[in-house]
Amino acid sequence: MVSVSVRIAAANGDGIESSGTLLAKAAARKGLHIFGYRGYQSVIRGGHVWFSVRIADEKIYDHGETIDILVALNQDAVDHQASHLSKNAFVIYDSGKIKVDRLEGRGFRLLPIPLLDIAVETSGDPIVRNVVALGAVMKITGIGTDTLHQILKETFGKKGDKIVEQNVKAADRGYGYEGVETAFSLKSDNKKLYVMDGNTALSIGAYSAGCKFYAAYPMTPASSILHWFAAHEDKGVFVKQTEDEIAAINMTIGAASAGVRAMCGTSGGGFSLMVEGLGLAGMIEAPIVVVESQRTGPSTGLPTKTEQGDLLFVMNASQGEFPRIVAAPRDVEECFYVGKQAFNLAEKYQCPVVIMSDLFLSEHIESVESFDIDRVGIDRGKIATAVQDGRFKRYLLTEDGISPRSIPGTAGLEFTAASDEHNEYGDLVSDVLSGIDEHVEMRNKMHSKRMRKLETMLKNESCFVPSVESSSGSHSLVCFGSTTEASREAVKILKSKGIDVGLISFNYLLPLDRKATTDALKGKKLIDVEVNYTSQLAQIIKLCTGIDVDYKINKYDGEAITGEEIARKAEQIIKGVV
Amino acid sequence: MAGYSSGVKAIFCPGCGDFGVQAALNKAFMDLKIDKSNIVMVSGIGCSSSMPQVFGVYGIHSLHGRLLPVASGVKLANSKLTVVGVGGDGDGYGIGSGHFIHTARRNLDITYVVMNNEIYGLTTGQASPTSLRGAKTKSTPFGDIENPINPISLAIAAGATYVARGFSGDPMHMAELIKNGILHKGFALIDVFSPCVTFNKLNTYEWFKSRIYRLDKEGHDPSDIGKAMQRAMETEVTNWEKVPIGLFYKKEGETYEDSDIVLKNGPLAGQPAPSKENVMQILEENR
Ligand SMILES: Cc1ncc(C[n+]2csc(CCOP(=O)(O)OP(=O)(O)O)c2C)c(N)n1
Ligand code: SF4
Repeated sequence: MVSVSVRIAAANGDGIESSGTLLAKAAARKGLHIFGYRGYQSVIRGGHVWFSVRIADEKIYDHGETIDILVALNQDAVDHQASHLSKNAFVIYDSGKIKVDRLEGRGFRLLPIPLLDIAVETSGDPIVRNVVALGAVMKITGIGTDTLHQILKETFGKKGDKIVEQNVKAADRGYGYEGVETAFSLKSDNKKLYVMDGNTALSIGAYSAGCKFYAAYPMTPASSILHWFAAHEDKGVFVKQTEDEIAAINMTIGAASAGVRAMCGTSGGGFSLMVEGLGLAGMIEAPIVVVESQRTGPSTGLPTKTEQGDLLFVMNASQGEFPRIVAAPRDVEECFYVGKQAFNLAEKYQCPVVIMSDLFLSEHIESVESFDIDRVGIDRGKIATAVQDGRFKRYLLTEDGISPRSIPGTAGLEFTAASDEHNEYGDLVSDVLSGIDEHVEMRNKMHSKRMRKLETMLKNESCFVPSVESSSGSHSLVCFGSTTEASREAVKILKSKGIDVGLISFNYLLPLDRKATTDALKGKKLIDVEVNYTSQLAQIIKLCTGIDVDYKINKYDGEAITGEEIARKAEQIIKGVV
Repeated sequence: MAGYSSGVKAIFCPGCGDFGVQAALNKAFMDLKIDKSNIVMVSGIGCSSSMPQVFGVYGIHSLHGRLLPVASGVKLANSKLTVVGVGGDGDGYGIGSGHFIHTARRNLDITYVVMNNEIYGLTTGQASPTSLRGAKTKSTPFGDIENPINPISLAIAAGATYVARGFSGDPMHMAELIKNGILHKGFALIDVFSPCVTFNKLNTYEWFKSRIYRLDKEGHDPSDIGKAMQRAMETEVTNWEKVPIGLFYKKEGETYEDSDIVLKNGPLAGQPAPSKENVMQILEENR
């Protein structure tokens, strides 16, 4: 496999995000796999930002730890990124503007290009220096310029032919600049690949499930779901920016109760405000989907950095006990399927489904070969339609715990959904009836009816078990959600060094099938990999199966974990160094 | 309550003002002959919020302070439904005050009846955001030192398009206000003086009766926002000597549902999931 990591580094406002996306798409249209991640800060202008795009001729699972080609658009870029350069890395920088003394004589291939001058000459617009640099990157990587030209046309077409021409010319000048030579031979099959981030895939998954309602209060890293829905209102999806997250979840509950597939999304801080609403959905058995995209906590934390620190919180959020489903898609492609499946699960089991993402999964971009739209169908669960004798029993005591629900507007099936404990009709057993024997009994029956849904889910669904992705070696990596991809990369890296290691990953955390989970985990030395301090998955594993993991790898500095980092630590563990 | 009763008995104390609201709601539904399966009554938590239980319509008895977002979600999902919010002053003007302001300015076609008893009933008599200055309650034994919220002026300022006040001592008048609130296209607030006979010994039926007067009898023009504000502030100006009830303000205009680019094409409820081709097309944006 040939793999090239390109990092464009600059200040906020320099347009590196769009350059990174252009590069990724240009490569993916050639059939090359990409993985991109943006490092940024909670400021709008200035600061130091970078966008890494790793390009390879096989599927890759992280953006890489080191940089093969650095595009340094300012002095900070050289100063802050120098330590990440790989041996013999290329450094494209603006000659005359940036000092590279510290890089000299260390084997790096320094490529001074008058980026700004070329940008101004070809277009009069300084921001076009990104495109000049991209041209040079296309040459070094050997990808060529045809797909870049196409994408420049599509991106700038709205602005007129002249702008397109200027950009194409700028790219060509970078491509043909003297001294820039092709150094990599990536094998491409020209099969166009999709490029998107996790939030986009999740949004499209929800859209394809027939989700018509999305409510949110802006919060990184969930905001891009709000933006996605807002940009697609012309496709018939309604979006509401609410006054706060409390309103967002309660509106979602109202919409879901009225028969519409509805979702809300936020990060940990907003989820904290949603907690009471989550319990309401549990109690009145409203089928809602909530996205919780984690960032580094506690409190406001590092708003633009990643973490998996909210797992136990989400699993236990809200008072009392009620069935809920907690999913944690593992990669961009799976965000689509889980985004769709979540609505089926919510409606079949009439309970809240929380999809846990995090900044890394929400925002990193990845190539995806194809999506199988039919893999997950649409199942809206048990809906009552026929008028029955007497009053409708919305909360009918059933063996599987699921009571057919009715949708407002349906004649003869009126009922009141109550957050107080209630009987089969929905009448309260909390006030005048509370404490009277038959109603004490009803509380028992109603609570166990709701809780029974967990057993029904485990019986009916096959998703509540971890995946044994690889079973070789004496040790297995164990992880959940977004950490899975870097773990996959680590398995590959270790294999290339002759070290076999297994991989067990979780994409659903609640409920969990005890037996299947035990079977998946037993017989191996377990190396738990989590982006948090307290190894929350390991705690869940212990609770569910009684199994203690043997080793722990934790990261909580806010940066995304990479395959190399995991591989390094796992190698030491396997070799008995730690 | 023939057509609209669930058969469940109200839990209100004998003499509670909320009985008057129950009667007025029932009369409004009867007069308008709304199909009971098309009514969704949404409440929060409090004595007053138990109202949906006694009606045989669709109901959501939700969380303390959250009835307006829940009601908004129902209305946004299916604009054909008649959505009526019912709750207490603590619920709506205390813990739910943020939602109150934003729901008013959104102008969704929701009718919101607040049973304002100037006290927290269900939690046995603490101060409410509408308790008068000096009011002695369980949580303010030496007298409340905060100024009360004026829900009428607040609603007008926030952009509500139908703002009225009723009194449980006059359920027929209140029924008219609720009926016209339901007919009004937009957010309608009907704040109701609904005495808590058990915990509020200050704001009693007699106390209100000696102070209230009806705006319609004084020739008030509800289309004039300036005059409406003046009347709304009369309680402050006269230190609760003169207390107007009736319709303060009404303005015709586009509702949220009429203006939204998705909702104006019809209710979301009942719309099918997109076709495979539609999904493919959207995926294509990402190549
Ligand atoms: C989040 C939350 N906080 C507190 C309560 C307790 N509580 C229930 S009703 C209520 C106030 C009731 O007053 P009001 O809303 O005016 O209704 P009333 O009982 O007077 O009709 C309170 C504080 C609750 N249920 N939920
Ligand atoms: S406590 Fe007050 S508000 Fe509650 S039911 Fe009794 S009288 Fe009505």
